[in-house]
Amino acid sequence: MAAAAETSSDRTLRSAFGSVLSFFILLLIGVLAFSIRLFSVIKYESVIHEFDPYFNYRVTQFLTKNGIYDFWNWFDDRTWYPLGRVIGGTVYPGLTLTAGTLWRILNSLNIPLSVETVCVFTAPIFSAFASWAAYLLTKEVKGAGAGLTAAVLLAMVPSYISRSVAGSYDNEAVAIFALIITFYLYIKTLNTGSLFYATLNAIAYFYMVCSWGGYTFIINLIPMHVLLCIVTGRYSSRLYIAYAPLVVLGTLLASLVPVVGFNAVLTSEHFASFLVFIIIHVVALVYYIKGILSAKMFKVAVTLVVSIGLVVCCAVIAVLIALVASSPTMGWSGRSLSLLDPTYASKYIPIIASVSEHQPPTWPSYFMDINVLAFLVPAGIIACFLPLSDASSFAVLYIVTSVYFSGVMVRLMLVFAPAACIMSGIALSQAFDVFTRSIKFQLPGISGKSDFDGGDTSSSSVVAENDAAKPDKSEETLKERPSRKNKKKEKEQVEKASVEKTSTKSKKEKRLLVLPLEASVIALLLLVFLGSFYVVHCVWAAAEAYSAPSIVLTSHSHDGLHVFDDFREAYAWLRHNTEVDDKVASWWDYGYQTTAMANRTVIVDNNTWNNTHIATVGTAMSSPEKAAWEIFNSLDVKYVLVVFGGLVGYPSDDINKFLWMVRIGGGVFPHIKEPDYLRDGQYRIDSQATPTMLNCLMYKLSYYRFVDVDGKGFDRVRRTEIGKKYIKLTHFEEVFTTHHWMVRIYKLKPPRNRIRGKTKKSKTKTSATSSSRKSVARKKNPWH
Amino acid sequence: MARSTSRDAEALFHSLRSAYVATPSSLKIIDLYVGFAVFTAVIQVVYMAVVGSFPFNSFLSGVLSCVGTAVLAVCLRIQVNKENKEFKDLPPERAFADFVLCNLVLHLVIMNFLG
Amino acid sequence: MAKSLLYITLTISLLPFLAISFSPESPTDRRVLVLLDDFAVKSSHSLFFDSLKSRGFELEFKLVEDPNIGLQRYGQYLYDALVLFCPSVERFGGSINVASIADFVDSGHDLIIAADTNASDLIREISTESGVDFDENAAAMVIDHTGYAVSNTEGDHTLIASDDLIKSDVILGSKNIEAPVLFQGIGHSVNPANSLALQVLAASPSAYSANPLSKLSSPPSLTGSAISLVSVIQARNNARIVVAGSLSMFSNRFFRSGVQKAGSSTKYEKSGNEEFFTELSKWVFHERGHLKAVNVRHHKVGESDEPAMYRINDDSDYSVEIYEWSGTSWEPFVANDVQLQFYMMSPYVLKTLSTDKKGLYSTSFKVPDVYGVFQFKVEYQRLGYTSLSLSKQIPVRPFRHNEYERFLPAAYPYYGASFSMMVGFFIFTVVHLYSK
Repeated sequence: MAAAAETSSDRTLRSAFGSVLSFFILLLIGVLAFSIRLFSVIKYESVIHEFDPYFNYRVTQFLTKNGIYDFWNWFDDRTWYPLGRVIGGTVYPGLTLTAGTLWRILNSLNIPLSVETVCVFTAPIFSAFASWAAYLLTKEVKGAGAGLTAAVLLAMVPSYISRSVAGSYDNEAVAIFALIITFYLYIKTLNTGSLFYATLNAIAYFYMVCSWGGYTFIINLIPMHVLLCIVTGRYSSRLYIAYAPLVVLGTLLASLVPVVGFNAVLTSEHFASFLVFIIIHVVALVYYIKGILSAKMFKVAVTLVVSIGLVVCCAVIAVLIALVASSPTMGWSGRSLSLLDPTYASKYIPIIASVSEHQPPTWPSYFMDINVLAFLVPAGIIACFLPLSDASSFAVLYIVTSVYFSGVMVRLMLVFAPAACIMSGIALSQAFDVFTRSIKFQLPGISGKSDFDGGDTSSSSVVAENDAAKPDKSEETLKERPSRKNKKKEKEQVEKASVEKTSTKSKKEKRLLVLPLEASVIALLLLVFLGSFYVVHCVWAAAEAYSAPSIVLTSHSHDGLHVFDDFREAYAWLRHNTEVDDKVASWWDYGYQTTAMANRTVIVDNNTWNNTHIATVGTAMSSPEKAAWEIFNSLDVKYVLVVFGGLVGYPSDDINKFLWMVRIGGGVFPHIKEPDYLRDGQYRIDSQATPTMLNCLMYKLSYYRFVDVDGKGFDRVRRTEIGKKYIKLTHFEEVFTTHHWMVRIYKLKPPRNRIRGKTKKSKTKTSATSSSRKSVARKKNPWH
Repeated sequence: MARSTSRDAEALFHSLRSAYVATPSSLKIIDLYVGFAVFTAVIQVVYMAVVGSFPFNSFLSGVLSCVGTAVLAVCLRIQVNKENKEFKDLPPERAFADFVLCNLVLHLVIMNFLG
Repeated sequence: MAKSLLYITLTISLLPFLAISFSPESPTDRRVLVLLDDFAVKSSHSLFFDSLKSRGFELEFKLVEDPNIGLQRYGQYLYDALVLFCPSVERFGGSINVASIADFVDSGHDLIIAADTNASDLIREISTESGVDFDENAAAMVIDHTGYAVSNTEGDHTLIASDDLIKSDVILGSKNIEAPVLFQGIGHSVNPANSLALQVLAASPSAYSANPLSKLSSPPSLTGSAISLVSVIQARNNARIVVAGSLSMFSNRFFRSGVQKAGSSTKYEKSGNEEFFTELSKWVFHERGHLKAVNVRHHKVGESDEPAMYRINDDSDYSVEIYEWSGTSWEPFVANDVQLQFYMMSPYVLKTLSTDKKGLYSTSFKVPDVYGVFQFKVEYQRLGYTSLSLSKQIPVRPFRHNEYERFLPAAYPYYGASFSMMVGFFIFTVVHLYSK
């Protein structure tokens, strides 16, 4: 009991020092989280990235210009022509409102930032918040040391960086913060049993619902945890306080968000929470009766209630099943179904399967996105089981479910990343704890060890990690102290009381777990090495892999850096050279950008809510020219935009996406058949390609005049010569092609003014030549 | 068998009542309040079943306000119950303040959602 | 003064709707270029030209070989219409060629083509561009052994008296042309799939197209009423073209000669040619059948301003004024078949517009319960008339959040419950605080 031997004044000093230190560490973590995401701004420029962020940006502009009520009721007639889109009712407003509020506050403080700047930097700011939230959550689970480690890890985890670099103005940027803070408040309520935190929890949940469709993860995970607690006999009235108000308030608040609305009570995603809500009431009643009755009487009551209760339960379940079964797709949305059954989407909904972020991830992507955390997670899970508290069981449940979901969809790696960080934070901190303790045990002369290995590390975050281990230690000693309740706040006392028991137990274990000095030092060094490897990887990922804005592309070649700014060139052309009301058709990927940057009406965009409409565009792209012209003309389309990477080797162009257009189009219009576009099951564009393929609009528009470039028509993406080199367009005319040919814009020709007679062109041509020949002959005649 | 069950039930009823009589009156008031809320909720559900669920948002807010009130009252009851050892450290004033805050939020949302 | 000002603004606002016509205020052609093989035609066809002149046209006669002829100068067209009375032309002088004539038509100008037996390839090509095909056999003529004109001495039955005229008041005037029209020349055919071209004067079912001098060795390529003697084409931009298979049809000789159809006892003093071509030239030079629509207006019932956006279930008024050009002034156009579509991929509302006989067409309807980007569309395409195609885009939005019905009686119990909960909460607070 080394700590107990110290004087009490020393202890207060140390705890105060520890909290000040952890405060500064947190501040540094925030700065780190913010600054590591600025690579994109430094390397490129301060622009909005990708596709979806452009829509969010446009919505934010509208919000800041017209105010919240107009935003709420915004009917956008520039997308999904001619259907239009009710933006207020179909968008998760959390991100937009956040950035709008931020902008308004800054402006009222006379800091004149443009909306775009605010939007660009929203994600980094919120990632700093998210790492603080992770600190709080992990602190509730396993103490402050683990919290700091987890916060550091989260600040740098590549998976999260990929979605929150400066300019990546997407829902996930704020949603991850909302997710973690909701979990934190849930755990906090669970640990304290205070209604105050329950209210905050409901509000945090509301923010999450506003921000991202992933809120269903919360509303399913928390009931699962409650159920787990009940089943394992860990029910407490704190659990009731944490859960019941959350369901009622959360459901009400969720229904306030227009995009969710009545779905909050009507769809199957939410039924689990209601079921558990009923169960927890039953359980609470049982515990209450058990409390006021004698044991014998309770037994009697149980036999009585069980016999009646079974009947009631059966009836209720039957009704519920009937309700669920009566709705199509069993009341589940397509995306949720594809989560539960990973093969569902590829079987039934090509439009979900066509999005690359809805594909299952590969193993390398796990390593890319969470790096060494993948190895630390199991250790963290083990650490959570010794000892198992309500909070740590929640963390375990969180990681297990998120591992599954991330295995189904790449996009949900994002949910998995915070869990992995928390687990790894716990594991690292526990490991440091064990090793430093055994060093300290064997070298009682050395009080701190931060100077011990702080000297031989260069990376700043490793220092942070070492620092993280130190307050962890001081926190540990703080816990070991005899209870001093009056000094701490009441709400933390409950937690402390529970921790107290376990800590004495673990202390004994730790005494037994003392390792040899050399082994500890080597293990420590290895951990530090692991940590620095992680840091190096994260910085590399942030700088190289995830900071490209995808709207501006660069490539390195032997003669230096090339910048491809074709997208903005094309959108600027559209903005300046077409009428305001002109409609531009393109594959839906480019819809958001076209509306945001070119300010032109589009037929389909990235909000893929209407499958038929997308299929219409897909069909047009895969039809021969005349049929395509008719489809586009019926939609009042003036311009067709295709993205073509064959000249510069840009792989995600329309020809590579073309099979999805065929599939999606064929899903609604059966005359488009995928095998028609494949030669022996192979997708090819060279001379072996099928005639259907060579004659479809997408092929023609992509390769029109392409052969003029090098005389051969060599496609650098497909690495082959194109099959049909001399393409003639009759119903479309090329109006603009960008510098690197990445975007090509075609105009629909108006219907011919006159309908020509039947006589073949070739015949008239020969007759024309013959007539000219004749006329020449006749001209010569006078000199004859 | 049936007779023994009914006798058991009778005994159970008696012991329940005797146990309940012992609860303090402040808790009884809360129980009354909870009962009132649940009763109102049930009436609304019945009304909905008869009339139909057309103004669904009104129905939802009506029922959820009752359920919410009941749930929050139960929470308060758990917290101010002196027999409950889990909350010995939580002063009842603080518990009540939390309760009021929570209720205010609830009713604010209800007002918003009712129309 | 104010009225004329209004008129001008109206016509300016009309510009995008009307096809690019000549001057939108008076669409009748004024300056006509007549290209001749030979100046003799000027006198031999003087009746036709005089009738044009008397109606106020400025005719400019040029020989096809004239090296100075040209349709446009400095990007401006010099003429409003072109008359090609030069069936044997092999090559135009100056800057005129097939492409320039096609451009002339595509920019909204009118054209009369008269071919004849042995029509040159150039004339055939121009006709093909316009959408009619002459018999490929250059020496072929239309022969009709039952429908020939008996007053003729020639025995090969190539002078045809046809009375198979198109029944259209717009194209041929309201007065019935009694006498048959004389024709002698080459036949042509019109692709039935061609919606722009029309047979105005068709041959009788017994006619066929062949060389009258040689024996018929193979079945003729054109037979029966598929043979068109005179056709009109109205291009999509409302430019009008007349193609006739005979130049002599326009001649004074044919205008003046009497006619008796074979097998018919009635003998007409004068053939129908003069009347036929006078009426047809009125049509082709836009003295008739030219419509314009102005003053397209729509607004909510009870309001007068045009909204930028409608809400679902709004009541809307729509009105448009349609006038027809009478050759000298715009007269109200009266018809009962002008329809309005409220259109989004398919017409959601289709209503016939009612007219006040003074040119104003109007209707009112309820905007459907569907939101989206709609169009007010009037598509008026009638035989002989210029096509009217008006469309105006208008978005229809759903209800705003505060436009839904409130305080429904059915919801009063819920309101009551909610408020009783609030009151209950208040009472409970008081009781709870004072019960200790």
